[in-house]
Amino acid sequence: MATTRNQPSARRFWSWFIPIRRDIGSWAFALNRITALGLTFYLFLHLIVLGLLAQGPGAYDSFLALTENPFIKLGEWAVVAAAILHGLNGIRIVLTSFGVGVTRQKQLFYGFMVIAIVVILFFTTKMYIG
Amino acid sequence: MSRSTLSSPVSGPRPGENTWIWLIKIITGPLLVIVLGLHFVVNHYLGSMSSGLMTYDDVIRYFQNPIIPAIEILFLVTVVTHSLIGLRGIVLDMNPTRTTLTIITWLLVFLGVSAIVYGIWLALTIASLGS
Repeated sequence: MATTRNQPSARRFWSWFIPIRRDIGSWAFALNRITALGLTFYLFLHLIVLGLLAQGPGAYDSFLALTENPFIKLGEWAVVAAAILHGLNGIRIVLTSFGVGVTRQKQLFYGFMVIAIVVILFFTTKMYIG
Repeated sequence: MSRSTLSSPVSGPRPGENTWIWLIKIITGPLLVIVLGLHFVVNHYLGSMSSGLMTYDDVIRYFQNPIIPAIEILFLVTVVTHSLIGLRGIVLDMNPTRTTLTIITWLLVFLGVSAIVYGIWLALTIASLGS
């Protein structure tokens, strides 16, 4: 157990954003945390936007028109991709938390990431091609 | 406990993280994968917009089935709980002082309760708009 390396600290938080000299475990850890932060931010933004529904069709539907903007659409794609990556990486964490696949964590990670890429490609096709 | 390597024995609560709180996060995770999957499908396939998104009229119609607001409220409670417990876990990674952690925990509780109350009000309001 690498106790020193895994000791909590603010410095370790910032190190998530530095993609050098990382092993695959560090990538899995960073991916989980970065997508979590993005999705939490989006969750509250989403709740605020849905509040437009209470203001009537004019307010909500004019906001929906913005989703055709390529930047907004890209943001929407990023949310979908982050949710898929976070969800599948999270399933790996849940499995190992309950003792499943503990000795095969790298394989599990690679397997779930392949599934994630396939699902992301599916949604990308749906969003951009129809 | 090791979190930055995939050769660690098992994942588990962080130092300072209550086991029950961690367990709630771990249990709500897979539940969210299922419910969020449904949420994506509904919002990208059932809507009448060319992108599949739901217009105002689509949403109002969708919420007329009483099971929908119930599912959306369950989804809201689950996602807010999971995300804020996760956010607290990230704060724990930064090794805050006990006082800072207490303040942040209460802020997160306030944020979570506010979001859930607001979300329930919104779901019930949307459901009542079609009647």
